[in-house]
Amino acid sequence: MNQENEKYPSVKIGLEIHCQLTCLQSKLFCSCFCNYHGLEPNRNICPICCGHPGTLPLLNKAAVEAACMVSLALDCKVPDNITFYRKNYFYQDLPKNFQLTQYNAYGITSIGVDGRLDYGEKTSRIRRIQLEEDPGRLVYESGGVDFSSSYTLIDYNRAGISLVEIVTEPDFTDPKDVRIFLNKITSIIEHLGVCNTKRQGSVRCDANISIQGGKRVEIKNVGSFKEVEKALNYEIARQKTMSMHDIKVLAETRDWDDARKVTKQSRAKEEEQDYRYFPEPDLPTIVLDEEYVSSMRMKMPELPYERKNRFTANYELSEHIAQVLIDNKELADFFESAVKIYSSPKEIANWMVTEILRYTDEDIMEPKINSSSISTQSFSSFAGLKIEAKHVAELAELIDKNIINRNTAKIILTQIIKTGEMPSHVLARTEVLKIEDKVIISDAVESVFKTENSAVRDAKNNPNVANFLLGKVMKITKGRADPKITLNLIKIKLDGLN
Amino acid sequence: MDSRETIKYLCSLSKLEITEEELVKYELQIEGIIKYLDKLDSMTLSDIEPIFQERNSYLLREDNAKSSRTDLLEYTINKEGRFIKGARIT
Amino acid sequence: MSKLYELSANEVNARIRGGEFTAEEYIHQILERIDKVNPKVNAVVCTDRKGALEKARLVDKKIREDEKIGPLAGIAVGIKDNICTRDLKTTCASKMLQEYISPYDATVVRRLKDDDAIIIGKLNLDEFAMGSSTEFSSFGPTSNPWNTDYVAGGSSGGSAASVAASECPVSLGSDTGGSIRCPASFCSVVGLKPTYGHVSRFGLIPYANSLEQIGPIGKTVSDVVMIMKTIAGADDKDQTVQVTYRTPDYTLSSNEKMRIGLVRELTEGAEPEISKQIYSAMDLFTNLDCECEEISMDYVEYALSSYYTIAMAEASSNLSRYDNIRYGFNFAPDGYEWNAYFAKVRSNFGDEVKRRIIVGTYVLSSAYYGKYYLKAQKIRTMLKQELRSLFKKYDILIAPTMPILPFKFGEKIDDPIKMFMIDIDTVIANLAGVPAITVPAGFSNDLPIGLQIIAGEFQEQKLFNAASLFESKTNIDRNPEL
Repeated sequence: MNQENEKYPSVKIGLEIHCQLTCLQSKLFCSCFCNYHGLEPNRNICPICCGHPGTLPLLNKAAVEAACMVSLALDCKVPDNITFYRKNYFYQDLPKNFQLTQYNAYGITSIGVDGRLDYGEKTSRIRRIQLEEDPGRLVYESGGVDFSSSYTLIDYNRAGISLVEIVTEPDFTDPKDVRIFLNKITSIIEHLGVCNTKRQGSVRCDANISIQGGKRVEIKNVGSFKEVEKALNYEIARQKTMSMHDIKVLAETRDWDDARKVTKQSRAKEEEQDYRYFPEPDLPTIVLDEEYVSSMRMKMPELPYERKNRFTANYELSEHIAQVLIDNKELADFFESAVKIYSSPKEIANWMVTEILRYTDEDIMEPKINSSSISTQSFSSFAGLKIEAKHVAELAELIDKNIINRNTAKIILTQIIKTGEMPSHVLARTEVLKIEDKVIISDAVESVFKTENSAVRDAKNNPNVANFLLGKVMKITKGRADPKITLNLIKIKLDGLN
Repeated sequence: MDSRETIKYLCSLSKLEITEEELVKYELQIEGIIKYLDKLDSMTLSDIEPIFQERNSYLLREDNAKSSRTDLLEYTINKEGRFIKGARIT
Repeated sequence: MSKLYELSANEVNARIRGGEFTAEEYIHQILERIDKVNPKVNAVVCTDRKGALEKARLVDKKIREDEKIGPLAGIAVGIKDNICTRDLKTTCASKMLQEYISPYDATVVRRLKDDDAIIIGKLNLDEFAMGSSTEFSSFGPTSNPWNTDYVAGGSSGGSAASVAASECPVSLGSDTGGSIRCPASFCSVVGLKPTYGHVSRFGLIPYANSLEQIGPIGKTVSDVVMIMKTIAGADDKDQTVQVTYRTPDYTLSSNEKMRIGLVRELTEGAEPEISKQIYSAMDLFTNLDCECEEISMDYVEYALSSYYTIAMAEASSNLSRYDNIRYGFNFAPDGYEWNAYFAKVRSNFGDEVKRRIIVGTYVLSSAYYGKYYLKAQKIRTMLKQELRSLFKKYDILIAPTMPILPFKFGEKIDDPIKMFMIDIDTVIANLAGVPAITVPAGFSNDLPIGLQIIAGEFQEQKLFNAASLFESKTNIDRNPEL
């Protein structure tokens, strides 16, 4: 703790995480599709989300439920009622030139307040959680992010998508903690099933940072959680350098330039805007009674910490291994599917954590959060790998039954990942491994008996024939047949002949 | 209140372009209106909470999606391909 | 048959069903009437000849083939030009929307169409419904059919004048601070502002969305009720509609003994001729066995400033979307920086709209939010509570609809405050969200006076009872000579 303080003297970092509720069917205030990826521009729009005159917002019931669950999962208080406000400002990606949000300058009307999330030994407080709508997307004439074009192109497919914004208190002091925290929140959101965090653009994070009680700098346009950590480290260094030279740090917004790995003053300069918040007259205040909140609690899928407890209790996994699994929902799901097929939880978990994890791309496991491009891709930890739960289940079974040892299993694994074959299949065709299958050995014994007729006839009188035949079987099976079983089968067969 | 400066600021906040003549014409009128609204000052209502319309969370729109029947681009005059055209950023 | 345009909506419907004349005949006469008188009043800004005749023929065909026809079959209806229609332009009398055709029909329009009413065109208004005289319109002002040197009132001037001039027996208007009742009173017709949350606002281009409602105007209470039955009720396209029933079940019984309160401040604050009429009305009710007494309201004096604060605040935000990007008029953004483009586009608003946007922006700014907007909402709450307790004691309240007689063109147009002041009697119902109706009460100097009747939330039935009782006992002229 002390060491950290020296490293980052009075650093205060707060986060604003925007998460699209991608698992809904429709947008927040209209029935356009929530999933617009792959569509041509302006195909997923309607008079409401395009702000045509006379249209009214129609609040999505499932969005409120999802936001409520996020609030409960992050230990927030859910108020008796929630209100939407208009945040008034002009911009070409904003169809009504105001954004509907729960935030306002005058009081708390959001769906979650005063929460907390523990990560490791530390805690961060959640200030508030709110629902709001996403704006559209601006593209510039030249196609890239070039501010010198003579006109702008606008696509409103995204306008009106439901966002849950999670705002933390500035409780972070170390950028590394920020990354751990972000991964934890992502895991929770994944487990709740409200957002596919691996889809590009579905999770965005802005950070604000101040050092030694100085001005707050907001950092935007960060593409991934790894970059959030980098940007914060950069910013800390920048500000410390400035203070060493007695240069004042300005309160401003800075964009992260990933190519050059620096923060720079934001081009889209927002002056101290007066957003003129007032309650949205077209939406009544929504009453959330106790029954509603408790039904949301009941409806909530298993949360990461609950799942972890179940893993350690029911499957008797160690804390560490359980944690690694639940930190990535895909891994945890994979694990449980495998265990369903063959119940050897400790073995399977071990394999997942020590071997399989090595093959997955660490970067892919974290959400890509660059919001300016759209992509149909949803990244899976297992992208490009042909391994499935059934493979791991069978592998564990083979090990449990002593058919193969762990070293062999590792070799088989490399095959499976490339070809998707079942382990037993790999076993059958490769030459490294023990054969214990009585059928296979019987066949080998049969064929040896046929070719070594004279030896077989000698067996009555010569006790060494069995060993001799064993040697022949080992030869034709290239030494893989299990000697004990083979000898046994040979003896039985010899007895049968007599 | 410095009316002219205030009005100019309010116009920039609300993206209204007004001419010098309009500014002159509106100045007195707007001052008069705001002075009239100052009547609200004579009441102290600190312990009143405004009542707003309420609706139960069960009575909201079901989460069903559908495509729009009309192609809204037909109602847009300035466009390029499937994009809507806007003015440049800087 | 001639002069079919003089018939009430109820009569038209009954006689078309009865086969006395066809809908097509009727619409031809309506269109002729519009051609004849509209140049004098300028109430109709867009006539849908083709669409109206087509619909009329369709209605006739249904009748011929014995198919089911809607309760409004054959009735000509005019629509205020801030209510969206997909076949006709909806301009809000503004240069900003001069080319705008809505991609959808307002709920009320769809319901009228479904009930086989025939929409004959769009009606004039103050730009974006901001005004009390229909002098702020890009189509030019609407004249009062009783004396064309005088204003028709506003903002639904076209809606009221068209009915008074028999261009259509019924019309739809919108009422934010009196915009239905004011012109209805000035034109000696009946106009209703329903309870807030009674009629869907989907398709009403908003001026101040926490205050306004669409409502019917007609020459008789029963015509107004007929339209209300069609347009009112639950709509899943508007989450502020508070009723769950779809078709309200109003009856017209004029036999109830009511407890009536006369609002002293409003009545005494009106011109003497008007006060006199209102006191006469009270006497009339007393003679019909109703219990009448004068009552006082504490918060009336703050109503106007509260109303204008809220209305202008909401307007400034509701009008932000007009930037010519997603819809609008022909003016390309090429070459412009976006702030400059927006400002240039928005210079197309008229003076009154610009003033309200500026003041609205001011009262919402963070430094002043508490002083104006929040205060105004609190006063509104006080007013609401005051009315709620009054309506425990009284069935209805009566007052003048307007404090003054119709005035001449240009009299108030240069002084916004002077213009605001004439809303004093009407804004209370909008602030509190309660229903209010105006019925013709008499004339002074040949200019109309209206009696306003106010009831509690969703108590439209009481308004209809009182209004039809009053109507049946008086016999005020509804037919100006044109």
